Amino acid sequence: MRVQRVLFLLALSVATAGVVTAAALAARSGPSAATPKRGGSITIARIEDSQSFDKTNVFQNESIWITEQINETLYTVERDGKTLEPWLATSYTASPDGRTYTFKLRPGVKFSNGQPMTSADVKFSIDDARAQSKGWGYLDAAIKSIEAPDPSTVVFHLKFRWAPFVADIALFSNGIIPKNFAGQTRKAFYTHPIGTGPFMWDKRTVGQSVTLKRNPFYWQKGKPYLDSVTWTYVSDQNTRELQLRGGQIQVDEFPPFNSITKLQHTPGVTMSLFPSTRTDYLDMNENYAPLADRHVRRAISYAIDRAAIVKSVLFGYGKPANSFLPPQVPFYDPNAGGLQFDMTKAKAELAQSKFPQGFKVRMLVGAGEQVENAIGQIFQQQLQKLGITVQFKQEDTSTEFSDISNRKYQLGLSYWTMDIADPDELVTFSVDPAGGAYSFYTSYKNPTVIALSHKAQREPSPAKRAELYSKLQRIAAQDAFQGFLYYSPYRWAYTSKLHGFFVYPLGNYHLEDTWLG
Amino acid sequence: MTLSSYVVRRLLQMVPIALGVTILVFFLIHLVPGDPARTILGNQATPHRVALLRHAWGLDRPLPVQYERFMARVVRGDLGSSLFYGVPAGRLVVDRLPVTLWLIGFGALLSMVIAVPLAALAATRRNRLPDHVVRAVPLVGLGFPQFWLGIMLLLAFALNSGRFFPVGGYGHGFFGHLRSMFLPSLTVGLGIAPILIRSLRASLLEVLDSDYITTARSKGLPERRVLARHALRNAIISTVSVLGVNIGFLVGGTLVIEQVFAVPGIGQLMINSIFQRDFPVVQAVTLVFSVMVVLVYLLTDIAHALLDPRVRFD
Repeated sequence: MRVQRVLFLLALSVATAGVVTAAALAARSGPSAATPKRGGSITIARIEDSQSFDKTNVFQNESIWITEQINETLYTVERDGKTLEPWLATSYTASPDGRTYTFKLRPGVKFSNGQPMTSADVKFSIDDARAQSKGWGYLDAAIKSIEAPDPSTVVFHLKFRWAPFVADIALFSNGIIPKNFAGQTRKAFYTHPIGTGPFMWDKRTVGQSVTLKRNPFYWQKGKPYLDSVTWTYVSDQNTRELQLRGGQIQVDEFPPFNSITKLQHTPGVTMSLFPSTRTDYLDMNENYAPLADRHVRRAISYAIDRAAIVKSVLFGYGKPANSFLPPQVPFYDPNAGGLQFDMTKAKAELAQSKFPQGFKVRMLVGAGEQVENAIGQIFQQQLQKLGITVQFKQEDTSTEFSDISNRKYQLGLSYWTMDIADPDELVTFSVDPAGGAYSFYTSYKNPTVIALSHKAQREPSPAKRAELYSKLQRIAAQDAFQGFLYYSPYRWAYTSKLHGFFVYPLGNYHLEDTWLG
Repeated sequence: MTLSSYVVRRLLQMVPIALGVTILVFFLIHLVPGDPARTILGNQATPHRVALLRHAWGLDRPLPVQYERFMARVVRGDLGSSLFYGVPAGRLVVDRLPVTLWLIGFGALLSMVIAVPLAALAATRRNRLPDHVVRAVPLVGLGFPQFWLGIMLLLAFALNSGRFFPVGGYGHGFFGHLRSMFLPSLTVGLGIAPILIRSLRASLLEVLDSDYITTARSKGLPERRVLARHALRNAIISTVSVLGVNIGFLVGGTLVIEQVFAVPGIGQLMINSIFQRDFPVVQAVTLVFSVMVVLVYLLTDIAHALLDPRVRFD
């Protein structure tokens, strides 16, 4: 599939050069001031089919973003990706010791089957979510018990003070469903889930499409505007683009970087770039002796020409990363000091290392992955100047994932997108070897950084957490445990008739605000 | 041997072939590096969570044990459940089978619609301009990759000024399928037509030199009737065999065509399942593909015999 995408891309380039004449007016994204209109249906074409709608156990974005139209959470993330706003709850209070949180539920909320939402549903939903050991339950590990003292109040008792608690409660897996799965089995319920969200289940053809229709009981009066939304699966990016131009779909998920400019100049198409939490990294496995040397890692980090990568691989639609945290996450430090391209400093660092003459290193790249291969070529050229010879090992995505996570690699490429509006999940994954991922599979271990992470998890004051995370980011940057590569936007192309479509930094979207003009 | 006993014998021969294919595919797909649990959970999942999922799926057991469990299910007619979707793999394949059969059948039909008149034109105007054009142009066409041809057809007939067909999909109802599947089937047909044209032209030339054609002409039969009733019927026999032999090519071609045209058939399912390491689905699809190819060979042999009474079943 990946190889074919590259071939298709080449084919489309030839095709467009030969057949398509120069496109005319650009249709640029932007909020519309017009009054929303009710009615109409849209089709969103995605790169992958949805896997499952069990929000507590699914890790695939193409599934999660659909479940979020059905199941809502007590709090949700605002457009900046950092702030939490009340959603199915109206407020919460925390006890002075930070171990008890009391939420007040929004009155008048109903599920799509007409049943009112009560605290019993909330208790059931989150108890079920945290019990899922193979799913997202680990993010609710701080919860000791949940009480529902009256229909509109929910009390959470925590095992310990846990600063990211409300951000965790806003995670999609903690979305609210009817108590006891509305009388169904768990499995049956999640084949057509019920929730309080703007849309409700309509139909699904496995491998082809999923359709949701308007929830008549939705608590935001007058919303959603659309009658229904269908998500189709069109694996080939060229076909998605042609379908958008042909009016067969209204939204194209993730057009490639090299088609952004063309789509920006395609009449009737809006090409939007939304700030994202996606951060791309060069992973350096410290189990390979040269990469355990801090000076070597710093040399490599200095030798990465991030501007060249952004220019030639992302066609300018991105920016060099200076921290392992992205700017759209709370407590990101713009002065984290991630090492930037400087060959003089790179040579100086390597000279101080145990490998001043350089060494050979093998780099995993995805077979047929155009972006990864292009980045690899840039690395190879720059590192050659240091005497480091990069040899490529091409693997398909599945094997590449496996080899990196099993630490059977030397250099590799990976990325992260945030699931919650708190840095804790990424920080634990990246710098705490006990967090389960061996510090993003690099085996990086700095006791100071680990201690800062643990302290920030329990620190109630946002200002003090900011200080702790800032310090942590600066030390991690100087250790160069990864090469922080770039921040890139979410890319969505859609018909210019579509209004109010906004993709949040976490990657999700609220379709209750979207309408067809 | 009668037709029915011949068919039964050939169908029985399919059993060891299908079994062999299944065994081969089971071990091949399991020996390829890559992990379905990691693929589904993504790179943000910790190894512990991946291990939990592998255990739940039984992938942490030794390969021979997994194979034994797989075969125990197969003999009961159960091809297992898709790791990605969690639904029976057999159902996924059966749901998509009509789509791919449409594509192959319609593609084969269109290839004949293209090949027969062009071959007849070339054969009846031997070594003249139409013959040279018919011989040269399809050869050039044979060199075009199918995905490129598909995109060209989409640009020409589904976009811009000529929006005659949808850009991909399968459509609804018979006429919806007919409209949606025309361009993908045409791409399939154009891919195989050059081979058929060359074969049919050569056969026609041979037949047109036969004594019985001379006899037909000397009886005063019009040339069109000589060609249609006498020459073509005999010449087409070898072309049917060529089409049958190339059915494997057609089936393989659907992998690419279904991607380009977003046709939800077995080819698309196969490619996705390979990348997701969805072992049960890959096994189920391969089994169906191999049975399809063997069945088409059988049908080709039967068609050959029906067209040419000299051919006997043995």
